[in-house]
Amino acid sequence: MSLIIANNLTKIYGSGATAVTALKDVSLEVAAGEFVAVMGPSGCGKSTLLHLLGGLDRPTQGSVTLDGHHLAELDDDRLTELRRRKIGFVFQFFNLIPVLSAEENAALPVILDRVRPSEARARAREWLAKVGLGDRLAHRPDQLSGGEQQRVAIARALVAEPAVVLADEPTGNLDTRASDEIASLLRQVANEWGRAVVMVTHDPRIAAYADRIVFLKDGAIADETVLEPKSQGNAGMVADKMRLMTT
Amino acid sequence: MSVRNAILGLLAQRPRHGYELRLAFEALVGGEAVWEVKPAQIYTTLARLEEAGLVRQASAAQEGGPEKRVYALTPLGEAELADWFETGLSEAHQRDEFFIKLMLSLENPNANPYRVIQAQRSRLYQELHAQTALRNQANPRRELAQIFLLDKVIMHLEADLRWLDMIEGRLDEIRRQPMPAPEVKPRGRPRKEDSHHE
Repeated sequence: MSLIIANNLTKIYGSGATAVTALKDVSLEVAAGEFVAVMGPSGCGKSTLLHLLGGLDRPTQGSVTLDGHHLAELDDDRLTELRRRKIGFVFQFFNLIPVLSAEENAALPVILDRVRPSEARARAREWLAKVGLGDRLAHRPDQLSGGEQQRVAIARALVAEPAVVLADEPTGNLDTRASDEIASLLRQVANEWGRAVVMVTHDPRIAAYADRIVFLKDGAIADETVLEPKSQGNAGMVADKMRLMTT
Repeated sequence: MSVRNAILGLLAQRPRHGYELRLAFEALVGGEAVWEVKPAQIYTTLARLEEAGLVRQASAAQEGGPEKRVYALTPLGEAELADWFETGLSEAHQRDEFFIKLMLSLENPNANPYRVIQAQRSRLYQELHAQTALRNQANPRRELAQIFLLDKVIMHLEADLRWLDMIEGRLDEIRRQPMPAPEVKPRGRPRKEDSHHE
């Protein structure tokens, strides 16, 4: 079953002569374990789509269903609660709290959800270990590299055991190597840990880690490309490309 | 490139016969799946190199099987190799089948250039996905050379994808310009009155 079902989403900002259509008639489904990249030029509606999927904004028309919950039926309080429990957000600028350790940062969402602090910290440690930061628990953000800070942010996104992870340009502030590591980790979040992951990116290299790429143009889906599973790395294509490069 | 220069480089390490050269070449680029060379290509190249005086037959190896010709570099071959090492290579990016396809699709009523671009983009993403997987499977402790080769392919694919975005964004501008066409040259002798104008 699809964890994310978006039907015919349209978002219009303003009204009358000044109305701007940010998104028109976009439908998208993302299953558990699936990693989807959303690409397109600036202003194509990528961020608007992510905000609508994450319940951060409400569509003008159309509907979003997350793990069986119809977002339109929820009032603002219940929407906030659903966001906290069902959705993990990952941002370009990590958004960690500077005075808190990695463990405290990762534990924060569940502490806010009234889980006992000791239990919250135990869960945070578990997720930090899974993202490869088991030996950095007491470090503050300024003692961590950009890639490590983003790992903390991913652990924080997962600590509430959300069904869905939404990432907005998660590698936009990282060097090439850290970007590859974060993209691999998001792939793992989907393929191994069973979350539905949607990532907005402008970086082709990072989009190529996904299972599927959705191309937005002028607020509408222009195309979709399903990428073959990784295990079927196609050596023939390498050969083609080498020839192209060297003849 | 030519496998030719690779053969010169491999023979500079030590004399080898054709089969050894083929294996050494394929090991260098990361396996025959990456870049397969046909035996015939090795042998014709060796024959041409010998004819040009760049390699010579050094001796014949006989390891129980049929005789194999072992080749070595000549001083002329060493000079050619040194020249190769010191000269930058130009890559023929201008010869691009996709570019030709796109230009022709602009004036073909049965083709949609946006679809042509999207088909190419989809294909490039498939490749990028596959290359990235191969690169991430390679072991940096033992296969760093192959990783760098794959990185090069990956970076080229990225550049190609960015170029597609750029050209897609300006397709209408391209359409407003005339298609590149050959200059019309008068055939035969120029007429006499034309020469007066010069």
